[in-house]
Amino acid sequence: MADLFDGYPLGQQWDEMFGTPGQPRPAYAGLFTSLQPMAGEELSARADLLSQTYRDAGVTFAHAGEEQPFPLDIVPRVIGAEEWDVIERGVAQRVLALEAFLADVYGAGEVFADRIVPRSVVTTSAHFHRQAHGLVPPNGVRVHVSGIDLVRDEAGDFRVLEDNLRSPSGVSYVITNRAAMSQVLPELFADHRIQPVDDYPTRLLAALKASAPANVADPTVVVLTPGVYNSAYFEHALLARQMGVELVEGRDLVSAGNQVSMRTTDGQRRVDVIYRRIDDEFLDPVHFRPDSVIGCAGLLNAARAGRVTIANAVGNGVADDKLLYTWVPDLVRYYLNEEPVLANADTYRLDDADTVQWVLERLDQLVLKPVDGSGGKGIVIGPRADERTLTDLAVKVRARPRDWIAQKPIGLSTCPTLIGGRIAPRHVDLRPFAINDGSKVWVLPGGLTRVALPEGELVVNSSQGGGSKDTWVLSHPRPAGEPGPGRPESTRIEFTAADLPDEPPAQDPGPLNDTVVGQSQQQQQSRFGPLQGPAASLRAVGGRGSFTC
Amino acid sequence: MSPQQTQTQTGSAQPDGPAPSRWRLQVVHRSRFSYGGPVRSSYNEARLTPENGGRQTTLRSRVEIEPAATAFTYRDYWGSTVTAFDLHTPHEELVVTGTSIVEAGPEPVGHEHVGWEVLRGAEVRDQYGELLVPTRLTNVDAEVGAQAREVAGDLPPHEAAAAVCRFVNGHMEYLSGATHVKTTAMQAWRHRKGVCQDISHVTVGMLRALGLPARYVSGYLHPKRDAVVGQTVTGESHAWVEWWDGGWCAFDPTNSVEVGTRHVTLGRGRDYGDVSPFRGIFSGAGSEGHTVSVEVTRLA
Repeated sequence: MADLFDGYPLGQQWDEMFGTPGQPRPAYAGLFTSLQPMAGEELSARADLLSQTYRDAGVTFAHAGEEQPFPLDIVPRVIGAEEWDVIERGVAQRVLALEAFLADVYGAGEVFADRIVPRSVVTTSAHFHRQAHGLVPPNGVRVHVSGIDLVRDEAGDFRVLEDNLRSPSGVSYVITNRAAMSQVLPELFADHRIQPVDDYPTRLLAALKASAPANVADPTVVVLTPGVYNSAYFEHALLARQMGVELVEGRDLVSAGNQVSMRTTDGQRRVDVIYRRIDDEFLDPVHFRPDSVIGCAGLLNAARAGRVTIANAVGNGVADDKLLYTWVPDLVRYYLNEEPVLANADTYRLDDADTVQWVLERLDQLVLKPVDGSGGKGIVIGPRADERTLTDLAVKVRARPRDWIAQKPIGLSTCPTLIGGRIAPRHVDLRPFAINDGSKVWVLPGGLTRVALPEGELVVNSSQGGGSKDTWVLSHPRPAGEPGPGRPESTRIEFTAADLPDEPPAQDPGPLNDTVVGQSQQQQQSRFGPLQGPAASLRAVGGRGSFTC
Repeated sequence: MSPQQTQTQTGSAQPDGPAPSRWRLQVVHRSRFSYGGPVRSSYNEARLTPENGGRQTTLRSRVEIEPAATAFTYRDYWGSTVTAFDLHTPHEELVVTGTSIVEAGPEPVGHEHVGWEVLRGAEVRDQYGELLVPTRLTNVDAEVGAQAREVAGDLPPHEAAAAVCRFVNGHMEYLSGATHVKTTAMQAWRHRKGVCQDISHVTVGMLRALGLPARYVSGYLHPKRDAVVGQTVTGESHAWVEWWDGGWCAFDPTNSVEVGTRHVTLGRGRDYGDVSPFRGIFSGAGSEGHTVSVEVTRLA
């Protein structure tokens, strides 16, 4: 029987499991021992079972317009307790600095007056929403949920690749990955002390309630989704169900006199906190795109009046702009008077002619990223790009340098991954999720490890067709004499068909859409084309899936 | 002018009239929206409260809504006071009336005019960045930009800005009906026709092309230079421009006059879109019409 890890090649990059061939790093010692006896065939059989479990559960990701299974690799990624402490501190620090920055941007603007960040970085950002100016959230929190993307460089240090402060998605995979893995490989969980991830919804709900308007005794929280066509609908449904709150669409909400309510079968019910998974631009047609039919008119002013909390806050995108990213270490020093725990990737701003020229001469050696792209869209990895791509890129960069940043490629770390029955190294990144409840930034131990399945592929974003890994954060060793944990990790997620639409509902025109006309003579257009009048009226309350009370 | 001021002082509720260089003006701005049938709900924002400060003092201002609605006011990013309200009872007509009494005078003079080297410096370009870049409504093409530079010649910034204002005034005909609320500077410029909104957009676009931070000002104009106190006349919603050359300077390119006693400032922004007096969305029957009337009375 050949050893499972025999012939596992180690390259220039850091490998998560092996420092030297055949010698697992300490955090992986237990996994190495557990997996060894399984050999290739047994592991492949378990992997089939795993993907079967996943398929049955309906865990999918919409990629390129199609629902596809989101592959879960059977080999987990393991992070030791001490290593995790660094990540936890670094992520929390970063979130606090970015919170302070957002409060400043939409308030006094001292960071500009003190010349830490040029004002124009903000005023030229597509995500700077002047509509949010002066809007102060009840408990001061704007970044209720964040996903700070990390990669590990050749030296083994974690570095921040980008910040996601709007609606970072993927946490549902963290929860479902753990559930599926513990069903398929229960023996691994018996041998390890892995920090649980299943209390994420409880933590999120607590943070959302903490952000409610003042003097609301028992706040009502809802999850606002753009609808079943959204690539993260599965996640919206899962979080709502696990938090025990309503999953609503814009048409289920109404704002009158700055009081937001949801329509239920029992009439209207007050809403205090909206965990929205809708982009700012579509959230409120009064202040943003007037043609949006997935938002709710009046939300922004209700929040401004302090009657409802929008989580995450409107306008957060100005702080996860990739150009602003280059200043985040300075923001940590400015607002917190601390040195950054986690470093950025080496990044160049294209803000002066010399740098632009320098970058243009080295496009084939650099990674160029559009500043307001997300999900890996538009990224050009110089060393892997063809001539034509580089020529096109040069034209774009020359025309609008503000739209780009340049980074030295990081040799992303690799992690053993089951590929075609064999274990092979594949590049991984890590998205830890953090929840800010106003008194503490809590970092979910684990996060989403995304793995680039094609050999050598460096873009690991799930929207670029990657897969994921269950991510284990090991507990600190127990001091001698302390009893073991009362509860082994045995998260079970009950998947229900209710999370998945059996057929797409007709586009409901929404309460404002039969004739939504801009009163300043603006021509209105429905984003979804002509309304399906008769179909819309067929959508009874029962068809709303999760919205029957 | 001074006898008239003496006259009103006796008739005025205020014992002291405005300073001789200021007029006291009352503005009644009424927007009436008619619908082809019942409108079930609507969400609206009005920017009808004059600025208080600088060359202008707002003595009184209120916004009335019919049918009655509870209004919520806030100050927006640009400093305008916004009256927000929504309606949820069926209505076939909406009337929004802003009534204000202000004292207005010329811009206080005194700031030192800076040279081009200061305007081109990194500090000014950063501080006023958003007022230096074109917007969809104010963008001018390279040819018009070159024209602005030709008009400016070797003049220092302040004089160059004034020259651009006069140039636009001399080349555009005031004509209502030729343009609409969404007409861009370039569309209006090609026809060399437009209303104050268009003329201001073209001017702002050319000023920015020169490298002068420039903004669009929304307000009202008393149409008569020799306004009779106590006489109510038909006024208009008006627009003009401001540029920064060490301090803010205002000019009315539509009439080629300084901004002064006849001008009431509502708000400022990058273009009309930031300061439009009224905007909203509604659901229900279609729109049948929208009429606006502005009445201005010089009180003192």
